[in-house]
Amino acid sequence: MFEEYLPVLILAVVATAFAAGSLVVSSLVGPRVPNPTKLSAYECGNEPLAEIRTTRFPIRFYLVAMLFLIFDIETVFLYPWAVVFRSFGWFGLAQMGVFVAILGVAFVYEFGRGGLEWD
Amino acid sequence: MPIDFLAIAPEIALTVTALLVLAADLALRGDAKQLVNPITALGTVVALVFTVVLWGQDRVTFNGMFVVDDYAVIFKVLFLGTLLAVLGISWRFFAEGRYFQGEYYFLLITAFIGMLIMPSARDLLLLFVALETVSIPAFVMVGLRKRDLYSSEASMKFFLVGVLSVAFMLFGMSMVYGFTGTTDLAGIAAAIGAGPSPDPLLLASVLLVIVGFGFKIAAVPFHFWAPDTYAGAPMPVAAMLAVASKAAGFAGMIAVAFIAFEPLADVWAPLLGVLAILTMSIGNLIALQQRDLIRLLAYSSIAQAGYMLIPFGLAQPGNVAVNDAAVQAVLFYLIAYAVMNVGAFGVAIAVNRRTGLRSIGDYSGLGERNPLMAVAMTVFLLSLGGAPPTVGLFAKLAIIEAVTVEVTGFGLVLATFLVINSVIAFSYYLKVVRTMWMGAAPVDAPVLQPGFNLSAVVVVLMLGTVLLGILPGLVSDFSALTSVQAAP
Repeated sequence: MFEEYLPVLILAVVATAFAAGSLVVSSLVGPRVPNPTKLSAYECGNEPLAEIRTTRFPIRFYLVAMLFLIFDIETVFLYPWAVVFRSFGWFGLAQMGVFVAILGVAFVYEFGRGGLEWD
Repeated sequence: MPIDFLAIAPEIALTVTALLVLAADLALRGDAKQLVNPITALGTVVALVFTVVLWGQDRVTFNGMFVVDDYAVIFKVLFLGTLLAVLGISWRFFAEGRYFQGEYYFLLITAFIGMLIMPSARDLLLLFVALETVSIPAFVMVGLRKRDLYSSEASMKFFLVGVLSVAFMLFGMSMVYGFTGTTDLAGIAAAIGAGPSPDPLLLASVLLVIVGFGFKIAAVPFHFWAPDTYAGAPMPVAAMLAVASKAAGFAGMIAVAFIAFEPLADVWAPLLGVLAILTMSIGNLIALQQRDLIRLLAYSSIAQAGYMLIPFGLAQPGNVAVNDAAVQAVLFYLIAYAVMNVGAFGVAIAVNRRTGLRSIGDYSGLGERNPLMAVAMTVFLLSLGGAPPTVGLFAKLAIIEAVTVEVTGFGLVLATFLVINSVIAFSYYLKVVRTMWMGAAPVDAPVLQPGFNLSAVVVVLMLGTVLLGILPGLVSDFSALTSVQAAP
């Protein structure tokens, strides 16, 4: 039974050897040109604005992310539902209505608790 | 295929309540916010009515994923009863502690929706969704006191251990699906039963699935989160975790062990039996050292989980009589455990809510300061230990009875450990009882103001503990009829 796993074992050994070998060879023969840019944080090509470890940013970003999730999930479900909408009939419409209503409650809750006010 | 709405009526009732609670939390201001508690209680009663109506009707919906049989109904009544009790002990704790009340009750209901689904789920995916619905609100509830470092630590530990064990469980589930080609529990059992001798990797994945539920029930070696989490969490949340969440873990464990992996019982039964021995012994031995009452209750609840794991160690593949007796013993023990343990947490809240200290010394002289609470705590602790005339004795007898259905050497070893551990447990339960009745009350001891709801819950639970100790048939007449392996 275990003989069947022999190719997997060989693959694992070869993969490990290749990865380890590449690292060793590149550290031996690769050129070293250190400069400050290489050590800076990568922010999509922009100049870094501040030190990451000491920067504080508003927790409201999380609220915006939550709000985004609410509508994101809604869209993810609405698209496939819209494609097969006709075959579901009224029952499907009612079900989607319930789903959107529950998400609506979440949205109203966030709105009512002041989650959308930036100050 | 139409959906059977009556079968999911309790869950729907709780969902509607959850949405109402959110709306009420928005609408109400200041002191009026505590009205969220009776709204929640009302919704729970509605759900309870729908659940009781379902007794005796075997309903199946969602293509067999969701089954409401008598076994599931008993579990649901247990959960909803626990929810009512937790609401009773939560009211003043949250109303006077400046907590986030609306959020708390919403999260509490959400967690209980997951618990209601758990005993009905007959599909790995639904079980997973139910388990996560129980866990994720619990992570937040533990950390509700967000400026309190202990609460944050408790929440963080609970979250990390929880996510890790769920990852193990998902990995196991995916491999089980790979081996059997189905996520339906009965289908998995059929595929395993029909196949040749099981692959070692399949056995490993079965154990991985069990790890996930082992975390929920706080079995050794997945118990490290429990004491810190109970100690740091708001106390009603600790009561919920120690009772309802643990019962939900057992519901899921019974479903996977006795339905899906029943043909492999000769593999997992010895393993869970050894876990039972470790869990009750380690839980009890560490509890002996505790000076903090909540930590003592936490280790005691670990030990109790060990007792409830004993019947799992008795299971045999294909032996319906033994397996049914094992499930019934767990069910009866869970009900008894819920009654006495929520009560013990209730008294702890009455004594320590204001002072914030949880040392056992705080209970010194409780017999003079508040005889009602002292009597109640004595009853609950004696019952947890298993003294007559309380329900705890019959719960332990139910486990011994399951052992005697078909006597095996391993069963006798398990029963021996149960008896030895019960004796050890008495020493720390009685230590608290002695402090309450024989210790002198501190001069500056605060006056206890438990409030009406908490007192009512504690009295009802105390009467329940004694009543079920005299007439255990009130529960066991129902639980002894149930079987998880109902005909499909």
